Amino acid sequence: MPQNSPHPLPPLARTAHAAHATRCLSGLPGSQTDIDASRVALVFYCLGSLDLLGLLDSKVPELDRQEWTEWLWEQQTRGPFGTGFKPGSFMTSRPDQEGSADESNYNCPHIIMTYTAMLSLAILRDDFSRLDRRGITSFLRSCQKDDGSFSTTPQSTDSDLRTVYCAFAISSMLNDWSGMDVGRAIAFIDSCRTYEGGYGQSPFCEAQGGTTYTAIASLYLAPQGNSNGEHLTAAQREQTIRWLVSNQQTSGGFRGRTAKEADACYCFWCGGALQILGEPDLVNRTSLANFMARCQFKYGGISKAPGENPDPYHTYLSLAALSMYPPANDAGSNPSWQFERLDPLLNARETTVRWIKEHIPSNPQVSQ
Amino acid sequence: MPSASSSTPKDEPKTLFSERPEWADVQALEQYEISNPLAPIFYSEEYKDATGYFRAIVKKGEMSERVMELTEFIIRHNPAHYTVWQYRYKTLLALQSPLEAEIKLMDELAVKFLKTYQVWHHRRLLLLLQRDSSNSFSAAAKELAFVAQSLKADEKNYHTWSHRQWVLSQFDHEDLCASELDFVDDMLNHDVRNNSAWHHRFFVVFQSGVREGEEDRARVVKRELTYTKQNISLAPNNPSAWNYLRGVLDYSKMPYAQLTSFVNLYAVPTDSDVIDIVDLDNPPPSKDAQLPCVAALEFLADIYEKRGKDDEEYGTTAAVEVYFPSFLHFLESNELILSKQVWKSLAHEHDTIRQKYWEYRIREALVNA
Repeated sequence: MPQNSPHPLPPLARTAHAAHATRCLSGLPGSQTDIDASRVALVFYCLGSLDLLGLLDSKVPELDRQEWTEWLWEQQTRGPFGTGFKPGSFMTSRPDQEGSADESNYNCPHIIMTYTAMLSLAILRDDFSRLDRRGITSFLRSCQKDDGSFSTTPQSTDSDLRTVYCAFAISSMLNDWSGMDVGRAIAFIDSCRTYEGGYGQSPFCEAQGGTTYTAIASLYLAPQGNSNGEHLTAAQREQTIRWLVSNQQTSGGFRGRTAKEADACYCFWCGGALQILGEPDLVNRTSLANFMARCQFKYGGISKAPGENPDPYHTYLSLAALSMYPPANDAGSNPSWQFERLDPLLNARETTVRWIKEHIPSNPQVSQ
Repeated sequence: MPSASSSTPKDEPKTLFSERPEWADVQALEQYEISNPLAPIFYSEEYKDATGYFRAIVKKGEMSERVMELTEFIIRHNPAHYTVWQYRYKTLLALQSPLEAEIKLMDELAVKFLKTYQVWHHRRLLLLLQRDSSNSFSAAAKELAFVAQSLKADEKNYHTWSHRQWVLSQFDHEDLCASELDFVDDMLNHDVRNNSAWHHRFFVVFQSGVREGEEDRARVVKRELTYTKQNISLAPNNPSAWNYLRGVLDYSKMPYAQLTSFVNLYAVPTDSDVIDIVDLDNPPPSKDAQLPCVAALEFLADIYEKRGKDDEEYGTTAAVEVYFPSFLHFLESNELILSKQVWKSLAHEHDTIRQKYWEYRIREALVNA
């Protein structure tokens, strides 16, 4: 593969990618039944794609947007362990029969869905008057484990760096850190660091792009007195930068682990971490855009690698990567590759993050 | 045993739960949404049927043999359905069924759904049930054998490796770890570019306690350096091995400069006149190797940079004053000049995709000098 294609960059098929997102939002085939357990996350990837493309208002009628907002609020669930959002309605039946006391434990909030639902509602410009803020902090508290990590649901024991990041992002959006023991959470993050300079999903696991992003983003989201640089020594920071940069392949795409193949989603995970570490210029943007151009699917959507099938996850993360790393204008690129800036810490368009800061905390930070 | 025997091949037609007499006493509960749903999934008829009974069972709080059959059916259609897994686990406990059948079923499902979190999580729960029992060691040993087997299907599968690391960190048996290094050796012999195996090696050697015969840590470090150098000599452009080499040095706080003679062999263009004397401490690159090796150049530049810094600290820059007076106003040591040259060659010739990074290294070195 030529490293820098001699041909000018083809246009980014913005309208086709938006159509892919709206198509998925309107329904999924039965072969995708396994998405059911993380449906709100999928909804976020679709809404987020439309938001980054700037096509939400023009492609989706206002009535639909209102209905979507209602559906998302329907997923907010109160229970014995606090409040959060569930992935969807797969455990919900008509509320006309008395259930067992234990029943609500099986239809309870999920930490990844809570993070993605809050972002989705912000994208839809909801005013968050229905958000149970105190309930969410107690939900977070009931998810935190002794080792500082967070489980996906309060009674479950599956916890790793992904869920830790969700707890940091949610607390940051609420501007309320009473839902977690920050010190213990950071100790857990530290325990996932590897000799390569990245972070594994859990202690002793191999360094991986996605979990490295969640580790770095969490450290930089942490509140004053607990934040960023304080937890990375200069040598650690350099080592992490080195590892992140080493993952960009000559194809322009990033791989997620040493010696693996490039995958579009790691352009976001590795690129996002570099952005947070303050070294965005180390990414080769021209090559990255060339890689993305080849991952575009003929009928809309972006796939993990050229020739594969697209999905909302890779489409969103590719667009998010391009929002941070648009090809330089002098590379002969056309305007279809330009985006509004992305906030790498919360992973949303800057305008959406401003909305979050103005509407989610009970004591908004921005107006002060 | 209910679960293992009730599993039916996919192509065999199966009666809907609503048509089975043994379920006639249960009223299925339809999935319910108030609003127009977002991204609704068009479930298959049999999945819709089974989950209707599952919601009903959970509402009743029933935990019985038939629940095992129902949950297995749903899992086969949707292994990511974490609620079904949770309920199945609770039911298993409530029934106090022997674990063998469940483990056997999981052996089948883990291979089938290798990339599903829930499958591995359930295995962990089953293992934890056995951790404090008398057969704890054999349970863990069996699990390691299973993991080794399933890695054959996908040698870099993240879940599978994580699971192995989890088992070794949870079951504290000295004998369990005893043959782990042999296992890693096998994996690396099969594919020396498998980074997951290199990572696992680091975990085994440095993070999982001290095995018998490995009390002399300096010897262990030396062994690891020799092992890595030999593997680099067989496949020089293998970033996993170079990262491991750095990892071992960092861990034992040894200077990179110690490997200068070795690294030099890989930082020069291929020389056909290379002498055939093999220095075991510094094994040369294989004949067909593509040189210079990017990782070696980077390593060499790091050695120079470090020496440059040390020179500054010890005031030996006087040498520069004598030999390179014109460079003095840049406050650079001669070592720093060498590292700059290497970084430049990486930026413009050997690793151009990272041009910006190598230029950044040059800038940073100047700032920190």
